[in-house]
Amino acid sequence: MDFVILALVMLAVGIYGLLTNRQLLKVFISVELIATAATLNFVMLAQNALGLGQAFLILAFATDTAVSGVILALLVVVSKKYGTSDIGKIMQLMQNKEEESEVDA
Amino acid sequence: MVPFIIEVLSVGLLVSAVLALFLDEVVYSVAALAGTFLFTTVIYALSGSIFAAVFQFAVSVGTLAILFLSGEMLGDKPVKKASSTKIGALIGGGIALSLPAIFLSVSSGAGVTVENSFGDALWNLRGMDVLFQAIVILAVAIGIAIVLYEKRKGVKA
Repeated sequence: MDFVILALVMLAVGIYGLLTNRQLLKVFISVELIATAATLNFVMLAQNALGLGQAFLILAFATDTAVSGVILALLVVVSKKYGTSDIGKIMQLMQNKEEESEVDA
Repeated sequence: MVPFIIEVLSVGLLVSAVLALFLDEVVYSVAALAGTFLFTTVIYALSGSIFAAVFQFAVSVGTLAILFLSGEMLGDKPVKKASSTKIGALIGGGIALSLPAIFLSVSSGAGVTVENSFGDALWNLRGMDVLFQAIVILAVAIGIAIVLYEKRKGVKA
């Protein structure tokens, strides 16, 4: 059992999801999977240097939580503003708004 | 016995990760993500990282509670339900993805072992990191409050 390969596969799955999903919540789930892949590496470090590995792991959790908080806040704001969580629809709405403002000008 | 259990858990970890990404309904995706977090927690605990397992559990419970709420509130409903063929294909894909981690190895066996207690490593070796991260998290919390306050203010105006 190799945690490095497991982490690499998780990272690949997360990046694939990040590039292909158009739902904002799925994008957030992809970011969570990438963060889980990163923290899985520290398990291997913790096997050789138990205290140091766990200390790094907990610092990584703190960063992960901060990133999750920011993404969720932005998700709520964008979803409430545009009424959808689909990235394609949001882009289209933004484009329409820009065109309307150009016509008004 | 423990390595075998960790291998089974790693298969479950990747299967639930694939399901979390590719299931159509957001609530089911979040449920699969809960499985991913649960498997990760048990892998940490079985690897001897008990503190990490407790932290992972606490963080994941908070994340999942918020995700269930926002998934129900903000997620678009899918037009049709996922077929059992698709779910079976996703589970098969997850199992296939976990095979390299079980049968291949890139780590060298001769690792350097460092003996540190958890408290010693956290406060003496990474003490500055802990302080700076506390400041970063405080800044993030204030930033989130400002973003949501601006949003509320914008709605009133």
